Amino acid sequence: MGKIFKFFVPPKQWRLPVTILLGVFFGLATYTVYVSKAWVYLSDDPAACVNCHIMAPQYATWQHSAHREQATCNDCHVPHDSALRKYYFKAMDGLRHATMFTLRMEPQVIKIHEAGAGVVQENCQRCHDHLTETNKNLQVSYQEAEHGKGKLCWDCHREVPHGRVNSLSSTPNARVPLPSSVVPEWLRKIKK
Amino acid sequence: MSNISKSVNNKPWLGWLLFGLSLVAVFCLGLLASSITERRVEAQMVNKPMTALGKTEAKNELWGKNYPREYQSWEATKEMDFSSKYNGNVMRDMLEEDPNLPILWAGYGFSKDYNAPRGHMYAIEDIQNTLRTGAPTGPDDGPMPATCWSCKSPDVPRMMEEHGVAEFYKGKWAGKGAEIVNPIGCADCHDSETMNLQISRPALKEAFERQGKDIEKASHQEMRSLVCAQCHVEYYFDKSEGKQNYLTFPWDKGTTVEDMEAYYDAIDFKDWTHKISKAPMLKAQHPGYETWKMGIHGQRGVSCADCHMPYKTEGGQKFTDHHIQSPLNNVANSCQVCHREEEKTLISNVYERQDAIKETRDKVERELSIAHLEAGFAWEKGATEKQMKKALTLIRHAGWRWDFAVASHGAAFHAPIEIGRILGSALEKSYQARMEIKKVLIELGYTGEVPLPDYSTKEKAQKVAGLDMDKLNKDKETFKQNLLPEWIKEAKAKGKLL
Repeated sequence: MGKIFKFFVPPKQWRLPVTILLGVFFGLATYTVYVSKAWVYLSDDPAACVNCHIMAPQYATWQHSAHREQATCNDCHVPHDSALRKYYFKAMDGLRHATMFTLRMEPQVIKIHEAGAGVVQENCQRCHDHLTETNKNLQVSYQEAEHGKGKLCWDCHREVPHGRVNSLSSTPNARVPLPSSVVPEWLRKIKK
Repeated sequence: MSNISKSVNNKPWLGWLLFGLSLVAVFCLGLLASSITERRVEAQMVNKPMTALGKTEAKNELWGKNYPREYQSWEATKEMDFSSKYNGNVMRDMLEEDPNLPILWAGYGFSKDYNAPRGHMYAIEDIQNTLRTGAPTGPDDGPMPATCWSCKSPDVPRMMEEHGVAEFYKGKWAGKGAEIVNPIGCADCHDSETMNLQISRPALKEAFERQGKDIEKASHQEMRSLVCAQCHVEYYFDKSEGKQNYLTFPWDKGTTVEDMEAYYDAIDFKDWTHKISKAPMLKAQHPGYETWKMGIHGQRGVSCADCHMPYKTEGGQKFTDHHIQSPLNNVANSCQVCHREEEKTLISNVYERQDAIKETRDKVERELSIAHLEAGFAWEKGATEKQMKKALTLIRHAGWRWDFAVASHGAAFHAPIEIGRILGSALEKSYQARMEIKKVLIELGYTGEVPLPDYSTKEKAQKVAGLDMDKLNKDKETFKQNLLPEWIKEAKAKGKLL
């Protein structure tokens, strides 16, 4: 550790400017964490998912469904069989979402991609296994269903829980906990 | 391994390279940060109204320009096309359907006129037309105080903002006839800038404060019931020292029927003195919020809006249906979001509960009206106040419980177990009151059956209650022809009404 540190130590006459520049770099990094509210992604609070306002239709439709009483976003959309897989999936999925959002690549109608659909199918069965135990055709994985070995839950239960329409403009004026202004209250007060 | 310092000393371009690389890194990080900031600002813009609204804009039409879907569904509260077994949205003369009512409310406005409730769009029209508000001829005339407007219109928060809360409650109902003109609508529940749900009526905020709770901390889901609780609650007009008909919720000791009864007893409050029995009566207004809380839906956190304003789909868009109505007229979007049973089954489940409650309710009404009439007979026979005290207290408590159970319309479904319990105790107290009166009559030397008048129809019952209906109706007509058009003319001239 000490060796690596020594390796990076700049020449004596450079130390002051380098220290300042490092401060600038880490300050900017801290601001990025602050403005993106990165820490909330560690929680299971559905409000974290509307950090990106384009998720408002998904939040609003969930909030008006019976699932809101029992299941958060993470209950359905991240794997629950092992902690390792859970956080690996969450990280990969989150990075993908963040990239799409930052590069403004989001489509008008957001649809679940394959890996996500597999996880949702797993999670339907995780909670509702008592409903599928009498019929083997219902206990299929996403891959099996894709190969015609049965049906996915939402092939029939198409409204559960978000309903059929989920374009970016499908829930105008929905009251969802979007992040408030970046500028903190005290700073706004100073301005006044 | 030599360190970077030595390498840079040997090859100065290496230092510049490092500088350039960090510059690019910081530049990109800056871009990322500003992109995130930009998208967060977008979130702020999502719900900005297209045309700005004043802080207390009461004219619903102006809000409708920004929110056409919500506005149009709200307009549907004008519909009069649905009757369930006991409620619905049509005009029904409740006194005619149940002639016990004029006896039970003798001496109080409700014995004059009481209709089944219609949609919010009728709030102004119905309060202007009811005989209960009398026939004022000028701003300082009539039986009702200004406080009666409190729940009828988004003009109320506007007036409170302009004149102050206590000032608003002062004076007669007729004094604000030209100001309160728009029916219950947008500004009653929404903040005009953010569109968030807000509490516009101070009485609810004050009741929370006195209970040591901060209503500002309520979650969005709680607010979806609390905005309704601004009006659909039990309340009274505080006339104690220094107060003029100040709208107050009697929740300081709690919100159960016993808690509020204890509150009223402690301050010796009465809404009116019964015309026949002379009992100091309490009128339960419409404790819908309190009874909802005591039922299973309330206990599970299902809000008022979940069932009465469910999501609606129109042309690929979902929005909250502002056609506030009986969920029985929209089972698919309300009940069936959670319950998988068929519509038929669900409706019969509701009726089953309502029927059971009605059975006991009918018994209470029968016994309690007889208790009033028997008490009236005892007074005629020369009973003293001391002799009657016990009976009258029992009548007061029985009347309060009965009214609490029925006045909110939905209670039989919202909390059938609690309402069954309350009506049980109302029946018990009615019988006890009758026994007490019998004792008084025996003391007075009367042992026969008490002769009861005929009150089998609305007209007969109102006569027993001592009402001159012809005069009341005639005066009301005069009011509707003279003062009422003036109010509307004035409101339009001042731009209060479109």
